[in-house]
Amino acid sequence: MKHTSIFVTLLMIVAIIASACAPAAQPTTVPQPTQAPAKVEPTKASEQPTAAPALADPTKAPEPTAEPAMEMLGGLPMVDAGAVTGDIVTAGSSTVYPLSEAMAARFQDEGYTGNITIDSIGSGAGLERFCKTGETDIANASRAIKSSEVESCRAIDREPVEFRVGTDALAVVVNPENTWLDEGVTLEELAKIFSADAKTWAEVNPAWPAEPILRFSPGTDSGTFDYFIEAVMTPAYNKDAKLGEEALLKAENLQLSEDDNVLVQGVEGDKNAIGYFGYAYFQENADKLKALKINGVAPSGSAVDAGTYPLARPLFIYSDPKIMAEKPQVADFINFYLTFVNEEIDAVGYFPASTSVLNGAKMALLIALGQ
Amino acid sequence: MQTTLKTTAAPIDLPQLDLHKRRRPHEIIIQAFLFACGIISIFVTLGIVFVLFQESLRFFGSGEVNLIEFLTGTTWQPAIGEFGILPLFLSTIITSLIGMLVALPLGLAVAIYLSEYASPRARGILKPILEVLAGIPTVVYGYFALTFMTPLLRSLFGADTVQIYNMASGGIVIGILIIPLIASMSEDALSAVPRSLREGAYGLGATKLETSLKIVVPAALSGISAAVIVGISRAVGETMVVALSVGAGPKLTFNPFESAETMTGHIVRISGGDLSYDSIDYNSIFSIALFLFVITFLLNLISRFVVQRFREVYD
Repeated sequence: MKHTSIFVTLLMIVAIIASACAPAAQPTTVPQPTQAPAKVEPTKASEQPTAAPALADPTKAPEPTAEPAMEMLGGLPMVDAGAVTGDIVTAGSSTVYPLSEAMAARFQDEGYTGNITIDSIGSGAGLERFCKTGETDIANASRAIKSSEVESCRAIDREPVEFRVGTDALAVVVNPENTWLDEGVTLEELAKIFSADAKTWAEVNPAWPAEPILRFSPGTDSGTFDYFIEAVMTPAYNKDAKLGEEALLKAENLQLSEDDNVLVQGVEGDKNAIGYFGYAYFQENADKLKALKINGVAPSGSAVDAGTYPLARPLFIYSDPKIMAEKPQVADFINFYLTFVNEEIDAVGYFPASTSVLNGAKMALLIALGQ
Repeated sequence: MQTTLKTTAAPIDLPQLDLHKRRRPHEIIIQAFLFACGIISIFVTLGIVFVLFQESLRFFGSGEVNLIEFLTGTTWQPAIGEFGILPLFLSTIITSLIGMLVALPLGLAVAIYLSEYASPRARGILKPILEVLAGIPTVVYGYFALTFMTPLLRSLFGADTVQIYNMASGGIVIGILIIPLIASMSEDALSAVPRSLREGAYGLGATKLETSLKIVVPAALSGISAAVIVGISRAVGETMVVALSVGAGPKLTFNPFESAETMTGHIVRISGGDLSYDSIDYNSIFSIALFLFVITFLLNLISRFVVQRFREVYD
């Protein structure tokens, strides 16, 4: 009698604890949020638009009223941000991050009421969350998707669609106290500076000081890292990407971080430091860092337009037609992104893609929406 | 202590036998609840150990690395298949050592002052402040290291010798972080030393300082050693301070003014998204975690052993 009652209460307690633990466990299982909104959205979407525009209109009156007159902007249907609800999950490149963040902020300013998350985790990790685990709706990338990634995307029944959103001029930066690189560097010198073959600046060029080179690079899963290997290291190592990567990763005093602010801080703090990252992070810290001329050309909008800056590279976002169909808010956000990106991109610190390229992205969106 | 309890409890036991038979459902519920809490903490620990072993097995089972390479290699760069844990391990040891060099003397001094010298009033003010120090989030300590300690070190030793990310500043701040731990554990040990010992020392003509250092501290040595070992395992496992201030590149160096990366710092950087999940690089962080777990587990065992072996029992 006594024993059974103990046993029963024990069971009850365990059950209570188990149920109490369950809600705590849910937030950690990441895939769920992507599925839940998809089912809830259609019903919500029909209810909320009535309330949301009323809130949005007084604050942002000029823009929404002016645009419906055009109806089609660059061939895309108009998005009324106030009518868009439901969450959007994005992740990827830390280079694209400030741009996506600016677009998301504007989307919310114009009335979008849902939650948009933008994780800055590197292009590779971002595409993996999009293609392998299928946790995200949009992947940000500072490099084109690899064929292996397209395959894993297809394996989970996703067809990645690429949207070019702008151009970055990869900034190679040094400390303001660095005087020996005022004339800039050539791509060959840059490869040597970042390779294990040189420990000190003097080993690259005898005219430079015999101080150790302190290197700051984005992490190995970063699109910026991949691009640097491809554009700088690989050509210097007989076009062998593996050798180029090895040369960089075996270098001494190398700090790798996915957090570009860690790199900014590192270069800012040491006169023998050198680093590289997206131009936006340089622009934000232009008073603390010096961007180098590469092959005699300084990174700038005109140099990028003229195609003379050797380290200009495209920035992308990726999504999938099915996600866009299931979650109209994703399509709307991409539409909004492509429509207004050129109005924000200067302030963020990147350079607009050419009109034809941007129109190509808009076409891609129209085609994806038509499916 | 226990024996005296038993002898006093025994005579009262008989008349209370009836009381024992009465059923008290709420007592049972409370007991069962507490039991379940204990069980859960055990299961969580087991679960963590299981995951660590499972993922580490996957790492070592991949064929890309063997245990000897892992333990003796001098380069850690997973992207190119270099898995030598020494640079990470060494930097963990150096930062912890610096931390202990700061925390041990200061923490012990604080403990001796609080238990032997401080007036009750001073104690009442100082102890809560010390506890506040223990309650500051470690990420704040991390920024403290980066924005205060590093500039201080650089102004003392020159910006050319001290790199912006360096082990010394992280180590010193870890030391500050664990002072409260060492101080409060040591103070408990010192206060537990019976008053008769001190009075005996005074009776033999010892000064207060002599009594404190030559009588009380040795008598409390087992508790103090336990505090030190717990402090070491705290220092070894400290994460945010080193992630923010020590650096982001594994490097085999003994120079505390250079940047390096500790085991915990590396894990936190990689799990922040630097490497792809489901890759050998990603699994590698579990092997580091297992290594860390083994270290702290051994330290805990040693501390238990020390406490039992060197405990002085006074009545």
